[in-house]
Amino acid sequence: MSVADVSLRRAGEVPVERAPRFPRKPKGISGRSIAIIVFLTICAAFFCVPLYIIITTSFKTMEQVREGAIFSLPAPFTLDAWWSAWDTACSGIRCDGLKVGFWNSMAILFPSLILSIALSSVTGYALALWNVRWANTFLFVLFICAFVPFQIIMIPLIILSSGLKVYGTIWGIAIVHAVLAMPFLTLVFRNYYKGIPQEIMSAAMMDSGSFWRVFVEIILPMSGNILIVVLILQITSIWNDFLLGLTFGGLGTQPMSVVLANVVITTTGEAAYNENMAAALLTAIPPLFIYFVLGKFFVQGITAGAIKG
Amino acid sequence: MALRWSRVSPQLALTPALAITLVAFIGAIAWTIFMSFTRSRRFPEYFFDPAEWSRQYERLFKDDGWAIALKNLLVLGVGSFLAIVFGFILAAMIDREKRGEGFFRTIFLYPLAVSLIVTGVAWRWMFNPSFGLQNALHSIGLTWVNFDWLSRADTAMYGIILATVWQGAGFYMALMLSGLKSINSEIWNAARLDGVSFWRLYIEIIIPMMKFTFLTCAILMSLGVVKAYDIVVAMTNGGPGQATWVPAYFTINAYWVKSNLGYASAAAVIMLAITGLIFLPLVLLTAWRERAREARAT
Amino acid sequence: MPRVQFEDIIKTYGRVTVLKNLDLEIDDGEFLVLLGPSGCGKTTLLNLLAGLLDVTAGRITIGERDVTDLDPKDRGLAMVFQSYALYPTKTVRGNLKFGLASQKIDGAEVDRRIAWAARMLQIEPLLDRKPAQLSGGQRQRVAIGRALVKKVGLFLFDEPLSNLDAKLRTEMRLEIKKLHDELKSTIVYVTHDQIEAMTMATKIAVMDGGVIQQFGTPDEIYSRPRNLFVAGFIGSPAMNLRAGKITNGGGTVTAALDGVTLDLGRYGFASQPADGQPIVVGLRPEHFGAPGQALADAAGTFSLPVQYTEKTGGDATGYLKFGDGLIAARIDPEQIGRFRQGDTVDVSFPQGKVHVFDAVSGARL
Repeated sequence: MSVADVSLRRAGEVPVERAPRFPRKPKGISGRSIAIIVFLTICAAFFCVPLYIIITTSFKTMEQVREGAIFSLPAPFTLDAWWSAWDTACSGIRCDGLKVGFWNSMAILFPSLILSIALSSVTGYALALWNVRWANTFLFVLFICAFVPFQIIMIPLIILSSGLKVYGTIWGIAIVHAVLAMPFLTLVFRNYYKGIPQEIMSAAMMDSGSFWRVFVEIILPMSGNILIVVLILQITSIWNDFLLGLTFGGLGTQPMSVVLANVVITTTGEAAYNENMAAALLTAIPPLFIYFVLGKFFVQGITAGAIKG
Repeated sequence: MALRWSRVSPQLALTPALAITLVAFIGAIAWTIFMSFTRSRRFPEYFFDPAEWSRQYERLFKDDGWAIALKNLLVLGVGSFLAIVFGFILAAMIDREKRGEGFFRTIFLYPLAVSLIVTGVAWRWMFNPSFGLQNALHSIGLTWVNFDWLSRADTAMYGIILATVWQGAGFYMALMLSGLKSINSEIWNAARLDGVSFWRLYIEIIIPMMKFTFLTCAILMSLGVVKAYDIVVAMTNGGPGQATWVPAYFTINAYWVKSNLGYASAAAVIMLAITGLIFLPLVLLTAWRERAREARAT
Repeated sequence: MPRVQFEDIIKTYGRVTVLKNLDLEIDDGEFLVLLGPSGCGKTTLLNLLAGLLDVTAGRITIGERDVTDLDPKDRGLAMVFQSYALYPTKTVRGNLKFGLASQKIDGAEVDRRIAWAARMLQIEPLLDRKPAQLSGGQRQRVAIGRALVKKVGLFLFDEPLSNLDAKLRTEMRLEIKKLHDELKSTIVYVTHDQIEAMTMATKIAVMDGGVIQQFGTPDEIYSRPRNLFVAGFIGSPAMNLRAGKITNGGGTVTAALDGVTLDLGRYGFASQPADGQPIVVGLRPEHFGAPGQALADAAGTFSLPVQYTEKTGGDATGYLKFGDGLIAARIDPEQIGRFRQGDTVDVSFPQGKVHVFDAVSGARL
């Protein structure tokens, strides 16, 4: 090992002693590579155009928007649309802007993150590493539940949450998020925990044998990676959710995406397109920020379920 | 036999999940199915008349809106298939030309981090007939281009498909890319040594090797299409008229706007049935892969 | 204290029976090695004792206690795993500490035990490292340490040395043996390596097909294998096993195999064999006399052509053509250079070392 290291390093470090007898031209980029890169660049442009248009439009004045040059840069450059989108944009009869929705989304996000991750990690742990006779049956049921369309359980959930007096509240939305995410997240955690060597679990059984102690002291410290992946997956999906917020949110407790949809759809008279775009950007910034900072985990999250599923 | 905590504690820990599954999923599904056989309107009626159990379904299939919704579901499914094809092409190109892999992947995937509402709002703006893309193209002389798809009943669905492909292609690219990367690198080297042409390599070797990935993508795509709702609301809100209704939209509309619980339930049950039809191959696929893995192991 | 007893143990997985009506008794202070090829049920038996698996039927007692329905942590034993199973996120100290998780003892005692185990295994300087920073041998020591701190009378080892290289394996073998001598505890040790079994065990249970084929001291297993399986499994190079027939006429018993007659006059038959009874004769390669020298008490002499020879440093084996097969014979490595392929050598075999088995049942006669 160490000998190989040394010789490898030498091979790179020792300068060539004389000019090579058979010099070669450095390999240029091939025609096919150029074609592929051009093609990919055109595709990248297709993906970027909407973002460019939203951003530029959001900084324009309505006068400039009405000129109809959608690709032009903002002149004059103004933040007015952003302020009005945040503070005064009207959704229906209320004109409080998106800030209410933003804080609602934040208030929904944290309890439902904690609830859903706690619930599904413990369930996944119990199913993967402990001897439960009906584990496989339960997993199969969860697998099916993970794909059930929301509409088939929507009405009973509305009735149930009204009965529990949480319908229309922040807590109601948070709980429903946790409930609906449970089957899928449980499968993700279960698959991850199945990868923990059996002998580690056996050793833990001999050393402690306590369900919770093994979870807290051994398994949780080993789940760092999957926790980040699930956390990011959940943050983006809760933040981006529309249907649950629409169904379970009451007046004043709606999340940001619902407020955004109301602002854009329920306009009367001429739409303030610059304000709409600023509102859309405001809503998209948190998940985009996470994507560009923690992209690797985001990709793992969205493909985790699909590949192993 | 003595009480063994090693048996009891995991089962206790599973109780919340089990209760949720039984109440919020199994119970709720059963309740909705039952409601679809009753005459419930605004409030649930628990009276079941065997003589006219199918009245909600009969009404449903006479409803023009439902027919449009089903047709649109099919159109959206076929259209979304483009996202898979597009995703595969992108993945193959990126995998072939390693230069700029990280950059392109980041660009192609970012729409996935954006909510469908934002996607819809953005595309709605671009499709705006007076100030949007159409106007921009007309002003540079391309007056023959029509880009006011959303305002015309016969093209509105295509607008939704375009936005869907824009949003989803990156997802399929990511799946395809991980499928391509899992192909043994010796295959590429062997093909290079054998001098197999680019097209033959992909059509005869790579695509057949990725059949699992393609099937997975197709099933996930179909399940997603059945759930499509947000994008429709954000882009067209079902319009013009009923032109862009889809089953998910129809169901929610039946409950909130028509206030007809039984009718909405019947539509939801059909949605469940469609999901089941798509789901069946997924279950079979999983069993098939399992068997393939076992066969390889022995 | 711990006298381990398995009574009529049956273990099945679905339709597959892994252990069949198994009985076994381990005395206090014994070093028992469960030896057998993979899939013989030895690891299953160990896991049943540890409580990691449940018996289908049967009873397991440790000391006077019936532990069949107890959780692993309540059985008063400690286990060392093949892959060491160290908790990757805990330091060595944390690993040892967690080994005491199920015992209600105060912190001072915990520290005392960790210090004691660390000193014993010479891992004191490693206590604050993570498992990933340790070498294979060091991890092995930590794994043993985690078992030691429990201060129990019964230790289980599941092929603990199979992930180590040859040199370390020899070292650890001695170390474990030393631990056993010092602690006077009972050890149940699973391995498929007969060298480990022969060097460490006070008792060996040779297993195959879910059945204990022979239970005895290493010497008994080596010198009086009870059946053909044990005879073939123990010893390296393996015992030569040849089919033959008994000739029992006029009080002299001989075995005829492929033209060679072996005198079995002094063989301790359990019962007089019948004339013409088909048998299998077992001859250990290391018991052949030196080539060309006739032994005084020879059972018979083979005159065979050399097929090939093999030299492994301090040892050498000649493979001689016999019938349509080969017979292995240990030959002095100094001399083996003299033999070329096709040379005929005369080797004789001493009377007292012949093993005779019934060809049908495989049992020792």
